[in-house]
Amino acid sequence: MKIFEKVRPAFEEGGKLSVFMPVYEAMENFFFAPSATAPAAPFVRDPLDVKRLMTMVVVALVPSLFAAFYFFGWRLVPMIIVSYAAGGVVEVIFAIVRKEKIAEGFLVTGMLFPLILPPGLPLWMVAVGVAFGVSVGKELFGGTGRNIFNPAIVGRCFLALAYPGPMSGNWITAGTSPFGRMLQYVTPSNVDAVSAATPLVLAKQGNLVDLSHMLIGNVSGSLGETSAVAIIIGGVFLLFTRVANWRTVVSILGSAAVMSGILHHADPVRFAPALWHLCAGGLLFGAFFMATDPVTSPISNAGKWICGIFIGIVTILIRNFTGYVEGVMFAILLGNIVAPILDEIVIKIRLRKLACEG
Amino acid sequence: MKFKGGYNILLEGRPAAEVKRLIEPKELYIPLSSRRFSFSEVLVEQGQHVEDGDVLAKDPDNYGVPLLAARGGIVNVDKADGHIVLTDIFPPKGKTYVPEKDLPHIVKEMGTAGMKRHKLLSLGAWQFFSDAYTGRLPDPLGKPQAIIASTVSLEPFVARGDAQLKNRLLQFTRGLEHLQSFLEYQPIYLVMPDISSSFASNVRKHIRGYAWAKLIEIPLKYPYDNFNLLARRLGLKKDAGPIWCIRTEGLLAIDRVLTVSKPCLVRIISIGGPGVVSPVHLKAMTGYPVQSIIDKYASSPGVRIINGGILDGQAVSPDVLGVCTECRGLTVLPEHHEREFLGFVRPGWDRHSYSECFLSSLRKSFRERLDTAVRGELRPCISCNFCEEVCPAGIMPHLIHKYLYRDLIEEVDHARVDLCVECGLCSYVCPSKIELRSQFIKAKQLIEEEKEEIRLEKMREEEMREQAHSKQESPK
Repeated sequence: MKIFEKVRPAFEEGGKLSVFMPVYEAMENFFFAPSATAPAAPFVRDPLDVKRLMTMVVVALVPSLFAAFYFFGWRLVPMIIVSYAAGGVVEVIFAIVRKEKIAEGFLVTGMLFPLILPPGLPLWMVAVGVAFGVSVGKELFGGTGRNIFNPAIVGRCFLALAYPGPMSGNWITAGTSPFGRMLQYVTPSNVDAVSAATPLVLAKQGNLVDLSHMLIGNVSGSLGETSAVAIIIGGVFLLFTRVANWRTVVSILGSAAVMSGILHHADPVRFAPALWHLCAGGLLFGAFFMATDPVTSPISNAGKWICGIFIGIVTILIRNFTGYVEGVMFAILLGNIVAPILDEIVIKIRLRKLACEG
Repeated sequence: MKFKGGYNILLEGRPAAEVKRLIEPKELYIPLSSRRFSFSEVLVEQGQHVEDGDVLAKDPDNYGVPLLAARGGIVNVDKADGHIVLTDIFPPKGKTYVPEKDLPHIVKEMGTAGMKRHKLLSLGAWQFFSDAYTGRLPDPLGKPQAIIASTVSLEPFVARGDAQLKNRLLQFTRGLEHLQSFLEYQPIYLVMPDISSSFASNVRKHIRGYAWAKLIEIPLKYPYDNFNLLARRLGLKKDAGPIWCIRTEGLLAIDRVLTVSKPCLVRIISIGGPGVVSPVHLKAMTGYPVQSIIDKYASSPGVRIINGGILDGQAVSPDVLGVCTECRGLTVLPEHHEREFLGFVRPGWDRHSYSECFLSSLRKSFRERLDTAVRGELRPCISCNFCEEVCPAGIMPHLIHKYLYRDLIEEVDHARVDLCVECGLCSYVCPSKIELRSQFIKAKQLIEEEKEEIRLEKMREEEMREQAHSKQESPK
């Protein structure tokens, strides 16, 4: 506390470093609860703030982080550091230019982003991706709370379109020894480790990976998405804390299950069963951590149901009928586009109902 | 009855049901304004000798609601700004009301009912009434479409019905009967927390045979006792006439005024909140020095004093020295000083939250000690929808906030900001710490003013048209 008081004058107006006031403020309020008191009734406030809300998401990611660490080695650590650093710089630049405060949304984006990337991706691509995601996906719209798209997904989408090769070729087979790959630093140059086939790719070629492997997570795939168990543990925690809305999760998973169930029923040879689809690829991760972002999902409950069903169906359609093997990313982006329209419709209906009231 | 939203905040400092007497004051500081009233017409002079029950001032804008002297004493107008100070207090004489000279002619003109209404107004019971939709004082000579009487007060830390009703069942039901005499066929809705309780069955026994009273049960969840909400849920229309609303203290006041013809001078207020050592109910009178109450009950200096409950009360500014005439309770809240280190990552075992983001959600419910901290920083709305979930009025606070942010007043009006009952729950739960309640109150005022202006403009136009019309006709 004393340190902050000492350096404060330099950041205040007229000080040498007054440009960096947002940084100072963010640091101070990060370490010490803000001193503001309620100016008007209600005179007490709920302890929940945006920082806590976002921290909950990071906490919920811990099981997935452990799984990623276990199966793909500690290359995860530099990826997270690079992601936070690159995205943080973008965030700070925008905050300084706009003379606004630094918002907490980035705490989540910086952690989510590496988890949806292939484990062997070069670090500079992580930096480019997150910088693009934060700047175009979020800051250009006005920052946290005003963005239309989930910044992490925008970043990944950009990488997938700009560098299709590395984004689909840097898969690593999960460690099989008792320690996983916890002691290894796996890079694309460790040739023996690189494989090109995620379960979804293999499925296109006609062989289904065993469900138990996908539950535990020792299959190839993006860092955080392989272990269904870890995601479900974190996801249920998120639902319990009510940071993620259960309606979104249930509708996505439900509609995806129903859709793939119907397809499997129609042609069991060509289409994988419903449970397999649920555990494969990024569907679980997307449903629990990406689509539930309160800012980019619809506000109204009806909108959440419809948007979730839309995302679920589109995911399965892309997986089964297009050239892409994985459809969650595009489905959620499409869902983000649909969300404001759905909200508009639901709100219009509600306003019409309200107009009739006394 | 069915309600939406609502939320009970569990806080330390709920006043016990016991009612304590305060020591006789040496001086009374009677504020000339309260939430609804401003007593601008002062009727006493410097140095004048008044007795208890004398009228000190009136509010000309609110049907001449009187400000009564709770004790006899010598008037000092200059001692404190905005107050009438009574010094050299002497014990009350408890005189009964003597009709004024011009009263016979009131009786002649308006009958005994008119006399009763006159008594209510001049003896200080009328001020307990409010209109369900406007919240203002209703016209004492008007005809209500219904009366809502409530024994429930759910806002944390205001005087509770059960404390006031102790051993006063008879007075309560007598008050109800007096109320009935103002009505023809309009119903009285008696709102209670539990209509199968022994108290309710007692009330029912007392008022048996009266078809005019309907008992209504509401769940004990804030703010379901709000008269605006109740009226809406009862299906009472806004434009079908005023709806008189009254709480326990009002019914007791009616009984006192109409049965024994004595002015209401003492009222039961609560002293509660996290900053109070032993929260109780107090028998206090208008003008009782706030400071002496605080000195006796507050646990430490550096507190914020709130007139009313913690969610929609008003902070008592330091230049208000006495308890105002409309006070239902004083809430004492410690000011926020300490800044917690890395507060947002703590487990939060002792922290109650509307969301389940703290470990306390695994614990049995408990009461929490809070202070005035906002506990977070102002952020843009993240569309978490909590405000809509808790809103008892069924509006969308986040939507109205976004419209207000873009200055779309017309849309704000369409989003029915006028349905807001100012319960303050949206501001309480907002994780982005947006001052939703204050914003809505401002917006409501703005919209009302604009509508008034439009109405005046129309009237002016019509007048102009009429004038032009008459000018055309006059040459003929």
